[in-house]
Amino acid sequence: MEPKAEATQPHFRSGEMGFGLDEIHSLISGPPETGRNSFTALLELPPPQAVQLLVKEDFPAKHLPPPIFPSNIGLIDRASKRSFFASADNPPASNTILLASSSMKVEIVKQEPTDSQPHPNSASPAVSDQSPKSGKRKEREKKVKESNKKSKKVVANEASEDGGKKLPYVHVRARRGQATDSHSLAERARREKINARMKLLQELVPGCNKISGTAMVLDEIINHVQALQRQVEFLSMRLAAVNPRIDFNLDALLAAESGSSIDNDYMGMFTPTIWPEGQINGNRQLEYQQLWQGDELRQPGWSREEDTPNFITPETSHLSYDSSANSAPLHSSQLKMEL
Amino acid sequence: MKERMPNSSALMKQEFLKKWIKGLQIYSSFKKEMTIFERKKAIKLSADVAIASTRNASTHWSRALMSDVSTDDANHAAKIVVAQISGRKVEKYSSSKGLMMTCSNKILRRSRVASRCRRTRGVGTSVKARSIARKVVKNRTRVLKSLVPGGQEMDGVCLIKETLDYIASLRVQVDVMRHLAAAAERLDPPQRSIL
Repeated sequence: MEPKAEATQPHFRSGEMGFGLDEIHSLISGPPETGRNSFTALLELPPPQAVQLLVKEDFPAKHLPPPIFPSNIGLIDRASKRSFFASADNPPASNTILLASSSMKVEIVKQEPTDSQPHPNSASPAVSDQSPKSGKRKEREKKVKESNKKSKKVVANEASEDGGKKLPYVHVRARRGQATDSHSLAERARREKINARMKLLQELVPGCNKISGTAMVLDEIINHVQALQRQVEFLSMRLAAVNPRIDFNLDALLAAESGSSIDNDYMGMFTPTIWPEGQINGNRQLEYQQLWQGDELRQPGWSREEDTPNFITPETSHLSYDSSANSAPLHSSQLKMEL
Repeated sequence: MKERMPNSSALMKQEFLKKWIKGLQIYSSFKKEMTIFERKKAIKLSADVAIASTRNASTHWSRALMSDVSTDDANHAAKIVVAQISGRKVEKYSSSKGLMMTCSNKILRRSRVASRCRRTRGVGTSVKARSIARKVVKNRTRVLKSLVPGGQEMDGVCLIKETLDYIASLRVQVDVMRHLAAAAERLDPPQRSIL
């Protein structure tokens, strides 16, 4: 469960970016720059003009949704194009930093016929995240082969395209024989977004991988959320029943830390760098120090006790905290005696 | 049994635990003697506020959760907890557009119902399955919206994104609470009397 919980963090973040990219692509359904398929058109153009077409500094930026790496996306788009037009003039300085990433993109793009499923939500870094999308862009030359594939990547079809002639970095296209007006395009983009996210959810919720169909998956998700919420309720009841005081947790943790597998999680917790703030924390720190000096535990006072002229400075307490794992058994026995 | 945990989830757990304990201490300073039910409520509330604040108000559900807690007038300690843990002003979490969104949702719902009635009257049996499926999905979506805090004001895409995040955070919360409960019970076996 934990690796999955961790994996969802990057999943979610790159899912956000996938979300942003989808939006970009659906928004940039503007008028075509050339009258034909823009990739081949660009190839035919002499290099300077091609470069000019590519150097659309503002165009992507205007349409990008603000929160999601706009400059990155625009730059990576342009960088990928540059890698194709190697004969073009010197790329502007802003793109040089992305040339390394763009070269990676080139390899991935070249494999794109085999990569039939975009994985916008994989845990791979940002660049390869967008490489399936650039693959979609470059797919115009393979449209005859791809148009018969029922893949999620939409394929350009010259006959049915009207507003479909787009710049290389737009990728929402009509499938063969489907309507291409802006409404259905937007609908399709939205549906694809939702489906991509549902896939993520399916990976997250255990047991959802084998289920197909939105309704069943939603059912599982609802059950899972309800179960988690119920667990929170029960656990808080359990914790309330264990001890008459609700801030007993600290010594329990100390004791538990010696034997349990939560060490990995909570070891970092007890370094005092984390408790710099507040009188509360200062007192707690004091309590720790007294514990570890083997002094008598101030049982009533996990709260306000101020008379501590001689407690250790934070630096030395750093050391004692770090040795917590070693001295924990001692503490737990101390605590047990105390309680 | 448990492999070395990756850093990000461990960090999240640490952050959650810190904030939760902070909240609990505020509560204990607020009220010396609490019944078990009050304790349970305090524990749960601190945990919820803590897990929501680990998101730093970047998600809808965390903002909605915080605003729910802080607009509950009966619970002063809760507000203090929110203010302390989040470190921000309480007003920031209140959703001003909540009222507008609920009004517009009602209008939308009414118009959708009307259009659906009009549409399904002239529909043949071949598409009944599809419409049934759509109805089922809509019902489930409605239930999910009721589960995720702040879900009423989200559209489909946003809802799924928020659900993802919410599930991950709930998992962290349950994990930490379970460990704590186990540790506490090991240390101090619970008394049988409910006091």
